[in-house]
Amino acid sequence: MNFKSKKLLYLLFLLPVLYVAQLLIIDIDVNKKRPILNIFKLMQDDSALEIVDFSVDKKTTNSNLPKPNKDRNPYYGDLHVHTKYSFDAYVFGITASPDDAYRYAKGDGILHPLGYEMKLREPLDFYSVTDHGFYMGMIQAFADTSTEISKKDFAKAFHDLNRKDNLTVESAGERSDLFSSIIGAVIAEPHPNWHPNMIKAWLTKNTQRALKSFDYDIHKSAWADIARSANEHNDPGKFTTFIGYEFTTSTDIEGGNLHRNVIFNSSEASIRPWTRIDSLNPEDLWTWQDGLREKGIDTVSIPHNSNGSNGQMFEMESFLGRAIDQGYSDKRMRNEPLVEVTQVKGTSETHPLLSPDDDWADFEIMDIRVGSRPPTYSRPSGGYVREAYLNGLTLEFTQQGNPYKFGLIGSSDTHTGAGAFDESNYWSKVGLLDGDAENRGSVPLAPENRERLEEYMAAFNQPQSTIALEQGDYANTGFTQWGASGLAVAWAEENTRDSIFKAFKRKETFATTGSRIAVRFFGGFDLSSIDLNSDNLVSDSYKKGVTMGADLMSDGDKTPEFIVWAQKDKNGASLQRVQIIKGWMDTTSGRPSEKVYDIACSDGLDVDPVTHRCPDNGARVNIADCSISKNVGSSELKTLWRDPEFKSSDKSFYYVRVLENPTCRWSTWDAIKRGFKPREDLHDTIQERAWSSPIWFIPDPSDVVVVPLGGTVPIRNTN
Amino acid sequence: MRNKLFIFFIIGILLYLIDIGLNSDEDKNIYISDQEVISLINAWKSQVGREPTDDEISRIINNLVQEEILYREALNLGLEREDKIIKRRLAQKISFLKQESILKDFSQKEIIDFYKANRDKYYVPGLYTFTHKFFSSSSNSKERAQNHLNNSNGLYENSDPFFLGKNFADVSSVEINSNFGSNFSSYFKNPPINQWIGPYKSSFGYHNLYITNYTPGFHPTLEEIYNQLLVDLNQLKRDSAISDFIKEVGPEYSVVINPDLKI
Repeated sequence: MNFKSKKLLYLLFLLPVLYVAQLLIIDIDVNKKRPILNIFKLMQDDSALEIVDFSVDKKTTNSNLPKPNKDRNPYYGDLHVHTKYSFDAYVFGITASPDDAYRYAKGDGILHPLGYEMKLREPLDFYSVTDHGFYMGMIQAFADTSTEISKKDFAKAFHDLNRKDNLTVESAGERSDLFSSIIGAVIAEPHPNWHPNMIKAWLTKNTQRALKSFDYDIHKSAWADIARSANEHNDPGKFTTFIGYEFTTSTDIEGGNLHRNVIFNSSEASIRPWTRIDSLNPEDLWTWQDGLREKGIDTVSIPHNSNGSNGQMFEMESFLGRAIDQGYSDKRMRNEPLVEVTQVKGTSETHPLLSPDDDWADFEIMDIRVGSRPPTYSRPSGGYVREAYLNGLTLEFTQQGNPYKFGLIGSSDTHTGAGAFDESNYWSKVGLLDGDAENRGSVPLAPENRERLEEYMAAFNQPQSTIALEQGDYANTGFTQWGASGLAVAWAEENTRDSIFKAFKRKETFATTGSRIAVRFFGGFDLSSIDLNSDNLVSDSYKKGVTMGADLMSDGDKTPEFIVWAQKDKNGASLQRVQIIKGWMDTTSGRPSEKVYDIACSDGLDVDPVTHRCPDNGARVNIADCSISKNVGSSELKTLWRDPEFKSSDKSFYYVRVLENPTCRWSTWDAIKRGFKPREDLHDTIQERAWSSPIWFIPDPSDVVVVPLGGTVPIRNTN
Repeated sequence: MRNKLFIFFIIGILLYLIDIGLNSDEDKNIYISDQEVISLINAWKSQVGREPTDDEISRIINNLVQEEILYREALNLGLEREDKIIKRRLAQKISFLKQESILKDFSQKEIIDFYKANRDKYYVPGLYTFTHKFFSSSSNSKERAQNHLNNSNGLYENSDPFFLGKNFADVSSVEINSNFGSNFSSYFKNPPINQWIGPYKSSFGYHNLYITNYTPGFHPTLEEIYNQLLVDLNQLKRDSAISDFIKEVGPEYSVVINPDLKI
């Protein structure tokens, strides 16, 4: 035996030994906690922290661009849009690409899966396609029989779906079925332990690679295409896009929805989205975001549908059931400055059970857990933002920090690529399942459709899917609780990624229910010295006060003053009133309280000083044709307000709610357009509204914990 | 000897052909993999929340078998032909394939042609710099606006502050419409410079305008927008892949429609 073959033999012997050793290391790491052996973790490489530059090489002629406005402009957008790359959007029959979605936002018409055109009345200023990071691009690959992975057995269910059809309401049952079973069944199966992909998964901290039904290359290319599209459509000064995705996590036991959208600030992003397969725990998401920030990539994550979280979005303890501490609060606020308070699946401002004294609390309430089968009640407490603000004060009171000091935005969560913001032109969210009036329950079902719906909903674990009312049998599958909402609005100097993203970080944002209401909000101690009719109102307010999203530090015993200025949507109904919602914590008892003040009434009417309510302005809606009273309501409302029940020792927050005159709800429009009366068990009308981010009043400045934003990303413009 | 071999050879082939002819049963085998059964059972579990009983398992498998049988019988009867849904799906599939397979390299000529054809799309709009007096609709706004105009120096009538401010620097007609309401930009056509004009109605009240500067729009040169052109051309290609394909193969088809059809 010569030297060479000896070496070969040696190698042949060594390879299996190394291989087995590697498996042992993984086994020890995963199953038996042995701290010393953690040294082997040095072999690991975090694939989710690899940065890729997705920028598109295009020089724009920005010679003719508007100058930045130091008093800031309101920019309207949507940060929650799904396209064909979402695992469920594909199941809903959606074929719209990210390119289609951005074209829609810029004002072009695109097609709904049922064949009609979706088009905005007015283009938006910014938009982000945020497909589910989890299994991004995979379902599409399963269905496309030309891919390698589609030949695997688990992909078969998806061929079947496509073989039968893609674009009919008849397939709804099967589609719903796939959606609900996919998370549990199709995906969960890992490779056997000896498989090389297991080692790859461990070495690169990329759990999804251990799954049989996962193809990393397809996943990465879907993400790259989303990033490419965002960068191609970004047009500084005119239209802004953000690379983004949805982190679709939930609690293990009750299925509490903990979904969040992650928005990137640059044309660079991680090589793959961090998903629920990496971890279900949002704290791990924040750790990853912190890691990206250290590398110069800033992100914000934005929770949504807290209303359907069974009270788990804004809990008084952490995901793992531990006590919240200052570290948790800092980390959450560093990464989650905003919450999506309204969207198609209901509004999460507050609930009648949580705010019994608020006459406007019963607004677009969705009372079931997101995606639950059978539909299951979602506990309100812990799921609504006003209570979270109060709980934040409580946590701060008990020295645990305030993890709930977030600003507000709205967005659509459409799955068709195109948000539906207009009550009179509504297509809901999930494509084939709710794209027509009968299936979303606003008009009675034709007998054959009723049968079909009942049949497939029964198979889909919902035995009671229709309801008998005056005009016939209606679909009652939950879509009636959805609505034409909402928009994210940022106060920024100019329409660029940088400027708008900084507004997100400052929380200088407000949310609307789809209407283009605009609202300014300032707090300070010397605002009464500003002339409300002066042209310098805004710049003076910026100088003398703070704006939405900020802290107002006490100034001796002075009572804070607030300036609110709201303007109606130029194509919408007139304004009815402006309110301030105050929440505070009594320092002696630790008891949280809340109160709603009307502060400006339309048509020159005055607020009753005792009840703090505006008189009825007389605006009415004619339900027969949805016409509204003419010449009632105001095109703008502006006032200075002083808190009449102020106590300088109480921590408190103030936010603005702007209410339009009532108009028809989408379900009423649906019905009258098709010759029916509106359904008697739904609200006929709706008051479109806007909510500002709060201003927090801090009694003792030494009390404030300044949350460092972390990383090396500059927060302010240097110029 | 040779002949015999040849005859056996022929007989062999014949036997083989007969065998194939008789053995069409081959097509009637239904294979169900372990994987398929497991994934069906898992799906069942995730919906119902418990393990299926043996009875239920056999029902699940039976359903699968029945579906497969019906599917194959349907194919035998040719039911897939002239089925609208299947047609649409297959058409969609080939569309996807065509979109995937486009080229990314363009010739210089293609780019220049594209530029010529879409020159107006890249027009950089003119920009206006102006100030305005706003008279809120809640009072006798039109009259006040008129008063303001009639005063030659325009200082005596008190106006109201406008939500988005008084001075606008370098804004395009699109932005004017988005800030004041659609069609408001029409008041800016061929405007007199440095002179009060109005009153004009917006969604919020009446406005008098004082336009101080107008930067005309222009068509950017090919070089200025070259990279943007590449991006857009690529998108156009993706979009037109299907119509191009139809153009390519369409001529091979002839279409016959009854000319006497009354609708």
